[in-house]
Amino acid sequence: MEEFADLESQDGVRMPWNVFPVSKQEATDCVVPVSAIYTPLKPIPAMPVLPYSPIRCRTCRSVLNPFAIVDFAAKIWICPFCFQRNHFPPNYASISEENLPAELYTQCTTIEYESPMEAASSAPVPPVFLFVVDTCVIEEELGFLKSALSQAVDLLPDNSLVGLITFGTYVQVHELGFGLMPKSFVFKGSKEVTKDQILEQMGFFAKKPKPATGVIAGARDGLSSESIARFLLPASECEFALNSVLEELQKDPWPVPADQRATRCTSTALNVASCLLGACVPGSGGRIMAFVGGPATEGSGAIVSKDLSEPIRSHKDLDKDSAPFFHKAVKFYEGLSKQLVNQGHVLDVFACALDQVGLAELKVAVEKTGGLVVLAESFGHSVFKDSLKHVFQSTDYDLGLSFNGIFEVNCSKDIKIQGVIGPCASLEKRTPICSETIVGQGSTSAWKMCGLDRATSLCLVFDIVKKDTPDAVGQPTSNQFYLQFLTYYQHNNGQMRLRATTLSRRWVAGPGNIQDIISGFDQEAAAVVMARLVSFKMESEADFDPLRWLDRSLIRLCKRFGDYQKENPLSFSLSPRFSIFPQFIFHLRRSQFIQVFNNSPDETAYFRMILNRENVANSVVMIQPSLISYSFHSAPEPALLDVAAISADRILLLDAYFTVVIFHGATIAQWRKAGYQNQPEHEVFAQLLRAPKDDADAIIRERFPVPRLVVCDQHGSQARFLLARLNPSATYNNGAPAGPGGDIIFTDDASFDVFLDHLQRLVVQRS
Amino acid sequence: VDSKSLPRPLDGDVLPQSFMENYPLNCDPLYFRLTTSAIPSSQSLLSRWHLPLGVVVHPLAESPNGEEVPVVNFGAGGIVRCRRCRTYVNPYVTFSESGRKWRCNICSLLNDVSGEYYAQLDANNIRIDINQRPELTKGSVEYVAPAEYMVRPPMPPLYFFLIDVSVTAVRSGMLEVVAKTIKSCLDELPGSPRTQIGFLTFDSTLHFYNMKSSLTQPQMMVVSDLDDIFVPLPDDLLVNLSESRSVVDAFLDSLPSMFQDNVNVESAFGPALKAAFMVMNRLGGKLLIFQSTLPSLGVGRLRLRGDDSRVYGTDKEPALRTPEDPFYKQMAADLTKFQIGVNVYAFSDNYTDIASLGTLAKYTGGQLQYYPSFRGSLHGERLRHELARDLTRETAWEAVMRIRCGKGVRFTTYHGNFMLRSTDLLSLPAVDCDKAFAAQFALEETLLTTQTVYFQVALLYTSSSGERRIRVHTAAAPVVTDLGDMYRQADVGAIMSLFSRLAIEKTLSYKLEDARQSVQMRIVKALKEYRNLYAVQHRLAGRLIYPESLKFLPLYGLALLKSIPLRGGFADAHLDERCATGYTVMNLPVKRLLKLLYPSLIQIDDYLVKAPDDARDGENYLRKVPLAAENLNPKGLYLYDDGLRFILWFGRMFASDIASDLLGVDINSLPDLSQINFCARENKISRKLMELVKRFREADPSNYQLCHIVRQGERVREGSLLLVNLVEDQIGGASGYVDWILQIHRQVQQSA
Ligand SMILES: [Zn+2]
Ligand SMILES: [Zn+2]
Repeated sequence: MEEFADLESQDGVRMPWNVFPVSKQEATDCVVPVSAIYTPLKPIPAMPVLPYSPIRCRTCRSVLNPFAIVDFAAKIWICPFCFQRNHFPPNYASISEENLPAELYTQCTTIEYESPMEAASSAPVPPVFLFVVDTCVIEEELGFLKSALSQAVDLLPDNSLVGLITFGTYVQVHELGFGLMPKSFVFKGSKEVTKDQILEQMGFFAKKPKPATGVIAGARDGLSSESIARFLLPASECEFALNSVLEELQKDPWPVPADQRATRCTSTALNVASCLLGACVPGSGGRIMAFVGGPATEGSGAIVSKDLSEPIRSHKDLDKDSAPFFHKAVKFYEGLSKQLVNQGHVLDVFACALDQVGLAELKVAVEKTGGLVVLAESFGHSVFKDSLKHVFQSTDYDLGLSFNGIFEVNCSKDIKIQGVIGPCASLEKRTPICSETIVGQGSTSAWKMCGLDRATSLCLVFDIVKKDTPDAVGQPTSNQFYLQFLTYYQHNNGQMRLRATTLSRRWVAGPGNIQDIISGFDQEAAAVVMARLVSFKMESEADFDPLRWLDRSLIRLCKRFGDYQKENPLSFSLSPRFSIFPQFIFHLRRSQFIQVFNNSPDETAYFRMILNRENVANSVVMIQPSLISYSFHSAPEPALLDVAAISADRILLLDAYFTVVIFHGATIAQWRKAGYQNQPEHEVFAQLLRAPKDDADAIIRERFPVPRLVVCDQHGSQARFLLARLNPSATYNNGAPAGPGGDIIFTDDASFDVFLDHLQRLVVQRS
Repeated sequence: VDSKSLPRPLDGDVLPQSFMENYPLNCDPLYFRLTTSAIPSSQSLLSRWHLPLGVVVHPLAESPNGEEVPVVNFGAGGIVRCRRCRTYVNPYVTFSESGRKWRCNICSLLNDVSGEYYAQLDANNIRIDINQRPELTKGSVEYVAPAEYMVRPPMPPLYFFLIDVSVTAVRSGMLEVVAKTIKSCLDELPGSPRTQIGFLTFDSTLHFYNMKSSLTQPQMMVVSDLDDIFVPLPDDLLVNLSESRSVVDAFLDSLPSMFQDNVNVESAFGPALKAAFMVMNRLGGKLLIFQSTLPSLGVGRLRLRGDDSRVYGTDKEPALRTPEDPFYKQMAADLTKFQIGVNVYAFSDNYTDIASLGTLAKYTGGQLQYYPSFRGSLHGERLRHELARDLTRETAWEAVMRIRCGKGVRFTTYHGNFMLRSTDLLSLPAVDCDKAFAAQFALEETLLTTQTVYFQVALLYTSSSGERRIRVHTAAAPVVTDLGDMYRQADVGAIMSLFSRLAIEKTLSYKLEDARQSVQMRIVKALKEYRNLYAVQHRLAGRLIYPESLKFLPLYGLALLKSIPLRGGFADAHLDERCATGYTVMNLPVKRLLKLLYPSLIQIDDYLVKAPDDARDGENYLRKVPLAAENLNPKGLYLYDDGLRFILWFGRMFASDIASDLLGVDINSLPDLSQINFCARENKISRKLMELVKRFREADPSNYQLCHIVRQGERVREGSLLLVNLVEDQIGGASGYVDWILQIHRQVQQSA
């Protein structure tokens, strides 16, 4: 799989099929869709940033790339997508084979443009951060939140603009620029407002009369920058005002009866926040960062009534369609996401509560705007605190927050785009490359990405429309085809950039050439695409049975690409290209993405939002956690994700993406409790203890959201965090003996061996 | 008729001395004044009296000699009251059966004396403990009320400020004066340490202030959805002043600068009022409103309906003087219900519909203070003084007042600022020493058979210290069968108080002309009746005759017709000023009313130049003159004082060096004296004048008289400031004193 990793490091792309099936039927037979996981802003160290605008094909507007055929004498290039002959502009006059512009270097399939013209036309736009803070929390939580926010403010880039909204029973928009005393505008929690009302009621026309006509928004369209600066201030100027508001920020003062939930108008607060940004800074990069400490109970986005005797909706309630608030809330957030996408603003949610807060309803607005999401139990928890720091701190693992992205796709003839699953919103730009079949955000060839960062990864699903006709065969020149991904975005330096990635892949050499197709199969990418697809289907298709769908897909895939004699399960074998794919599916079946009933709807929404924005490597860890074993006997080594990995004299490090578990075998735990690691003669033991800790720290350092670290001992209560993820090869009911010092999993789940047995039997069945 | 021989009240109000001597157990007339202290025994007798039969009550009047009303605490035994008519025990009850019974002077019921209240009687049936019992010897006492007089724990004194911060409020300097004055009064607000305070400011939006004591500075919260007003905090908008003192100080310090750049020209007065009501309605208290811009947004917005010369003399005329929008009266009713009293301070350069705004004060027992064209630099001192007075004077909270009287007599109407809670119970959310009320009573069908009629005023209230108290004033008056007695015992002060209130009320439903006519008619009828009694007997056919007690009645009557609320028509007074003065008069005690009707005009140049420094001796150098221009000597300097303001009139030939000393400028070089800052100069004569002015002001602390300066012959100003107020002169269409007397005389002589 290293070859795929190399391709990824060059272009940020992973594809389940790197050799494309040659016809629609063949693509269907491949089961796993022809697709790509693309990370538009993946850091590519050697990638040039060109200080000029790209050359485009005059017919299809694709950007000049290394796959263009260049006639140096005639100063002409032929577009690989539409075969249009284009003249180079006069400033390319000196072009020759020895004097190529960087965009034609063969290794520069991914390149960026930062045109100086654009830079000159407008000064770099400062990013906007609008904090929206829940005050319906206990004093202790509010304390945690205040200190986290104060820290965050310290870390903000000096030029960024900052605003503050707090909410509980009411929404308070703080006028940080007032200066004399903390001042805020208060809005009713139960009542939605419009942008016009915000403009009218917050005194935007106090000193400058309202223009009679036209759209009124931002400094360019009718608002005085003075009036905007009342609410959005440069971080360097508002630190004092913001901190003094935060210091004296009170818990929502309205009394809450013992049998009631607090009145929390999360949706109205977000509605006000969106209108405020829409009024002040439409079109420039901004994010609403919402800090929510409990369930929304007021306004259109309420998820539950105030009456405590009514529980918050569960997956069961959603399944039975007996969650009375759900649809209204989702509808509200769909509306909000449209508004935010129009304005180009991001919604980030930091949900920190023991209760659900309504993430399942909020999901649409976060995903469509490319927002960040963090779910933790408390504002005091490191998952929240460190994640928030991670957003702002510039380190090697900087998120590289960017804004205002537009993502576009170009394809060669015969390939169409069905849609994108990931954090973006359709721009409804219907072009001939749009497929009739729609997956995710479809029927468009352009998507808005209000917020995107270095990790943001889209899953693009393609359609092969090539007819299986004889004349399509045996034309060597047409064996290559091309894909071009264009991402315009506001770089975190404030400048607008364009990243162009142009890919070349080839069609299968002749129909039915299974070996050729197999050679291009990236099973990790395939597993991740299947995970996104099954999650999407679970959310969008009524009565969808994910296990059945996954099982059938796997069986079909194995039937197609496996080696076997009919009716002989023992004869079954898979190419190494496919060998671990069944294992991925086995773990995917058991994962949080499928087994939703073990979690709340908020948790499920959270897991899926992260899955839908991460790259292949990280997603694989979510599907199938990695396990490393540490012992005196050998260097740290990967261990099978199986209960058999447990041993009294080992330390295991499980990375399940959202949680990282350090598991001390019983003997190790005993020694540790005895304090051997503190004795000089047991330095080796101390090193053994330290090694998984250091590795865990390394994982935590680079990951966003910061995972939850669980350090536990064999037989301890926290050990369940490990056991739940292990293959139950030894359970209490299959009679398999536990290894020496090993463990038995108390579960009814089938083990991987049983699963594989079944699979083989079904594959070889005559259909 | 010789003008000089006509009677003039140059010494102002005179208390009915003989009555006081005959009834020493009565409360001081300061608190209770009958229009005649001879009560007619029958309706037929009363029907020939033609003047109002009633009373002026000033329950919390400040005693000029500083004497306090004695406080009586009956403790566990409870307050001694008549079992039947609930009269409080008073000097007119009689004890019998060895002290075991007492007879109610009002309903005659024989009540038991409780064990706790028992005392032996002496030979004259006088309790032996009489000297330790102020309630049996004084006409005015204050009872400490036990728990059954409370429907809730006594409220703390509470001051809530609703302040307009629109551009005119800021630019006029009002906001700064108000903020500074409030701050300077914080130590003197009554009721510390229980006193509560809160603020709400408004322009086109409402601004609430969180004053929680733990904050280092106040937090401002703006609510701008005027159609759906709400209170943004459950607590801390009203705070305990001592606990939150530093936050309140910080707020008042920044208040003027907070809005110094405000350019907002709108006023969401109605929504702001509603919001203030929502903040205050749990406790009640005093709402002080500072209004500068005509309410323009939200509920209660007012039209610039202004004044219109065309409607004068038509049926539409009285509508100008009454509120157009029922919102104001409804709000007032709600406010009163929740024990909120409203004082309105109105500042405006233009028409601001005082008629509507004043309604708030009228029905909540409050007052309206009007500062037209307010400029902080010129008028600040008056606002400072009057606001300070408002904030620091003793105030009775969540009060109700009732007047009881003997059988055969029945109170019918009440006149003043209050809300009538039932037929005879006046609701007064916050009442103070500057408020007087008038009431009229009628006789029942039957003849009065008793010798004496008793009256008892009871004001149940919460003191600033948190005690529930009942202030009780008791008075007796003889019943007479002779109409002449009624006239002889008439009290022109009380009569004018009632006349004025009745006439102003009449202007709310009738034309000014009708209101004036009715005053004149009653005076004529009364004098004719009196003439019929005595003219034949005295053969005085050619002369106007009147009882000594009513000798000033014609002149005061004339003055009333020429007073701002009643005078002329469209051009004779600004509509707002007319209404504002009307609201003021409704509150005035007798003495201040008479002074407003017939102000004093004093020649002071002799005093300034010649009087020795010993102030007492100096009085002889002050010359009070009748209110007529002919009395103004062009060489003289005069001080006009109507209780609300001073006017300093410089004669054309007044020594200019002295004028310069007094004013700091050459008086003849200034075309307009309105901008002169009247203050002490570095010379003796100026200091002397300032001393004199100060002394006059101290005589009545309820208002601050700003001193306006005018020079004889100064166009327009001399007329509008002074000449128009010289009631004995013929002004416009109104008669002079002599003509008036002749006119009255003629009408009296006409056969009925
Ligand atoms: Zn092209
Ligand atoms: Zn009685």
